[in-house]
Amino acid sequence: MIKFRYIILLIVPILFSSQLKSQAIRGTVYEYGEPKPTPLPGVNIYWSGTQLGTVSDEDGQFSLAAPEDAHMLIFSFIGYGNDTLHVHGDEGRIKHIMNQILTLGEVEVSTRSKTAYVSRMSAVNTTNITSGELTKAACCNLSESFETSASVDVSYSDAVTGAKQIEMLGLSGIYTQMMAENMPNLRGLATSFGLSYVPGSWMESIQVSKGASSVINGYESISGQINVEYKKPSTSERFFLNLFQNQMGRSELNFNTKIPVNKSLNTMLLGHVSHNNSTHDGNHDGFMDDPVYTQYNLFNRWDYKNKRFDAQFGIKAMKENRNGGQLSFDKDKPRDTSNGYGVKLATDRYEAFLKTGYIFHKPATSLGIQQQFVYHHLNSFFGLQDYKAEQYSYYGNALFQSFIGNTKHTYTTGFSFIYDKFNEQLNDSVFNRTEKVPGVFYQYTYSDGHKMNLIAGLRADYHSIFGLFFTPRIHLRYSFTESFILRLSAGKGARSTNVLAENTSLLASSRRIVYRQTPQMEDAWNYGVNLSKHFELNNRELTVNLDLYRTEFINQVIVDRDSDINQISIYNLDGESYSNSAQIEANYEIIKGLDVTAAFRYNDVKMTFENALLEKPLVNKYKSLINLSYVTNLKKWQFDFTSQFNGQTRLPSTISNPEPYRREETSPAYTILNAQVTKYFKKWNVYLGGENLTNFKQHHPIIAAEEPFSNYFDSSMIWGPISGIKIYAGLRFTVE
Amino acid sequence: MAMILGPIAMQAQDKDSKTETVDIKTSAICDMCKERLEKNMAFEKGVTAVSLNDETKILTLTFKKGKTDKEKLKKAISKIGYDADDIPADQKAYDRLPSCCKKDVAPH
Repeated sequence: MIKFRYIILLIVPILFSSQLKSQAIRGTVYEYGEPKPTPLPGVNIYWSGTQLGTVSDEDGQFSLAAPEDAHMLIFSFIGYGNDTLHVHGDEGRIKHIMNQILTLGEVEVSTRSKTAYVSRMSAVNTTNITSGELTKAACCNLSESFETSASVDVSYSDAVTGAKQIEMLGLSGIYTQMMAENMPNLRGLATSFGLSYVPGSWMESIQVSKGASSVINGYESISGQINVEYKKPSTSERFFLNLFQNQMGRSELNFNTKIPVNKSLNTMLLGHVSHNNSTHDGNHDGFMDDPVYTQYNLFNRWDYKNKRFDAQFGIKAMKENRNGGQLSFDKDKPRDTSNGYGVKLATDRYEAFLKTGYIFHKPATSLGIQQQFVYHHLNSFFGLQDYKAEQYSYYGNALFQSFIGNTKHTYTTGFSFIYDKFNEQLNDSVFNRTEKVPGVFYQYTYSDGHKMNLIAGLRADYHSIFGLFFTPRIHLRYSFTESFILRLSAGKGARSTNVLAENTSLLASSRRIVYRQTPQMEDAWNYGVNLSKHFELNNRELTVNLDLYRTEFINQVIVDRDSDINQISIYNLDGESYSNSAQIEANYEIIKGLDVTAAFRYNDVKMTFENALLEKPLVNKYKSLINLSYVTNLKKWQFDFTSQFNGQTRLPSTISNPEPYRREETSPAYTILNAQVTKYFKKWNVYLGGENLTNFKQHHPIIAAEEPFSNYFDSSMIWGPISGIKIYAGLRFTVE
Repeated sequence: MAMILGPIAMQAQDKDSKTETVDIKTSAICDMCKERLEKNMAFEKGVTAVSLNDETKILTLTFKKGKTDKEKLKKAISKIGYDADDIPADQKAYDRLPSCCKKDVAPH
C-alpha cells in the first residue's frame, strides 16, 4: 500500500515460455461488498509463471488466452493481496471476489529457490535478498550481509574502530538511503556504525535498489536505497535461536519469539548480544586488529490487523561499548602521550515507530501514516581527541493512495516532516544544529499490467537551513518480450551533511579537520539503464543483467585527504564530480542444485579536489565476484563459496610525509575467498565457515603506528582486510 | 499412451529397486506450504525424494521399502498441518500454520 513498487514486486513469477492455444477464459472480477459484490475494474489478471495477462474492464470483465501449461491465474490489485485461482479450463465463466488485505508497505518474502533476484515486474531495479541468501554467509549483522552481492561493497573505514562502510555505484554509503521497513533509518550519528546495529538473524529480507528511488520515502537517496525488513509476527517462526562463535573470540547470540495475544494482535520479541574479547594483534603493530566490544540489542514489536485497519508499533533499544587502539593503553591511567593510544566509543540508541494504515471502501484507496522517533547518544575518544554527540530525530510521513479513472493509473500523495537536532562537541568546539524539513510529494504510477510501467514523482521540501528545493524522479520499465526487459531511471537526490558523524573514522588520525567553507546541501542527478535478459538453456534459466549508472553532483561536500597531509579539508565542490558504474551479472543453475552467480563491475569515480579532477581515493576500479552455491537432494547439506576480486584503488597522497611514512600511490589488487558448509536437521542446522581463506592482509595498515601522537599517525588508509583467516561455527534452532 | 505405459513402468521400478514412489493429495495452498511440506518430509525416516506439484497439490514421495510406508507418511503430513488423502490435518499443527497456509481462508 505504502510503496507501490513493492506491491509490483509481489507480482514476481518466474517466466516460462508458454505455448499459446486458441482457447480463452472469460470471467468477471468483483470487490467484496454488502449486500452483493460489485464489479472491480482495473484488476491485473495474469497466468502465474508468465507475463500473459490482461486488465479487467469497467464492468470487471476480462478475457484471456489460456496457454496449455498454465493453470494458476493471479488476480492482482493495489490494496488487495495477490489472489491465485486454479483454473482447469472447463469451468465456464469465472467469478472471482478479491480477497482484501492490508499490506502497509510490507514486502512478502519470496520462497522461490532463487535467494537473490531482480523482480521482472518492478519498474525500479531492485534486488531482493531473501533470508535464504542471508544464511549463505556468516552474516552477523547488516554490514556482513552483502558478501554475496556484487552491487554493494563493504569495507572497513579505519584500522582501529571496526566501523564498516558500504559503497554503491562507487559512492560512499552516505549517498545510499538506508531504510528500515520503508522508513529512513541509520541517519546522522548512526552513519558510521549503524550497519552493525542490525543483527543478521532479525532480518527477513533486504531490498537493494540502484539509482533514483521513489519520492515517497524522502529526498535523501542519491546512488540508491537499501531497505531492511525485519521478521514479522505474522510470518516468523515461533521461536528462533542463533549462536555464533569465531576463533578470534567473537561470540553472538540472537533470538526471536512471537506471542499471539488475540486474533488480530500479535507481538514479537527479538534480542541480540554480541561480544568480542580478543585483543589480537596479528600484524604486530601494537594495535588491536579488531576492537573489543559488547553490544546489547532488544526489539519489541506489536502488529494489529483487522479488516480495514492495520497498525504496527515497535520499540528498540541498543547499547554498545567499543574499545580499541594500542594494547599498551591503560584505561585507568590518565589519557596523555605517556599512556598508549586508546579508542573508545560508547553508544546508546533508542527507537520507536508507529505505522497505521486504513483502506477505504473504494478500490485501491488507502491512507497510511508512518512515524518514528530516534534518540542516539555517543561518547567517544580517539587518542587525545574527544567527540561527544547527541541526536534527537522525528520522522513523520502521511500517504494517501488512490487511482485516476481506472487502476492502470494510480497515484500516491502526501506530506512528510523531518526533525533532526544534533548536539556535537569535538574537543572544545561545539556544533549544535537543528533541522526541520516539511515536504509534500506526488507520485503517479502507470501500469498496463503487462508490458510497461511508469513511475513519475515530484516532491518539494522546505529545509529550515537551506530553503526550498525540488526532487523529481522518473522510472520506466518496458518489456520487449517476456524475457527481455529494459528499465530507465532518472532523478535527483539531496542531503544535508553531518561531517563529523559521517567521518568519525578520520578522527583516528593526527590530521586536523579544517572547515574551509560552511558545508552546503549536497545534491546530484542520477541516471540509470538496466537491461535484463533471460535465456532458456538446457531447460534451465540463464539470467543476465546489465546495469549502467551515472551520478553527477551539483554540489558535494568534499572531504579532502589529498591536499594537505596534516589536514582533512572540508569544502564545497567547485567543478566536476561524477561516478560512472557499469556492471554485468549472470546467474545459472549449472547442474541440479548448483547455482552460479558471476559478476563484473567497472567504476569510474572522479571528483574535483582544489581545482584538480582526481580519482576518488579507495574506490576499486574493477571488481568481480563469483558465488557457487550447492544444495544436495532434500536440502540436507548446503555448500557456499564466494570469491571476490578487488582491483586497484588510488590511495590519498602521502608524498609529503617522511620516507618511512609514505605509502604507494595505489593499493594492489587482491582476492578474497569465503566458504561455508551448512548441515540441516529438522528443527535446527549447524554451519561451519571460513572468511578470507587466502589469508590476505594489508600490511602496515596504520601509518606511524609506533608514534600515534606524532603528526604522521593515520589509521584511515584502509583498502584491505586487517585480519587473516577467520574460522567460525554456529547453529540455528527453529520452532515453527 | 502414458496411461498404458505408466503402471507398467511403475511396477518394473518397484520390483527392481528397494524404493517405492507414492502420490498423496494434500491441502497445501501456497509456496510457503510447499517449502514447509518438502522440508519436513525430507527428514522423515526412509524418504529419499520429495516434491509437491504446485498445481495439483499432490506430494510425490520416494522412500525405502521397509523403513516406512504410505500410511506412516500420510500421518506425518497430517502432523505438519495438512490433509493427506483421507487423513485430515492434525488440528494442533494446523492452528500453528501461517495464515496464508490455512485452507479455510480464501487463497491468495
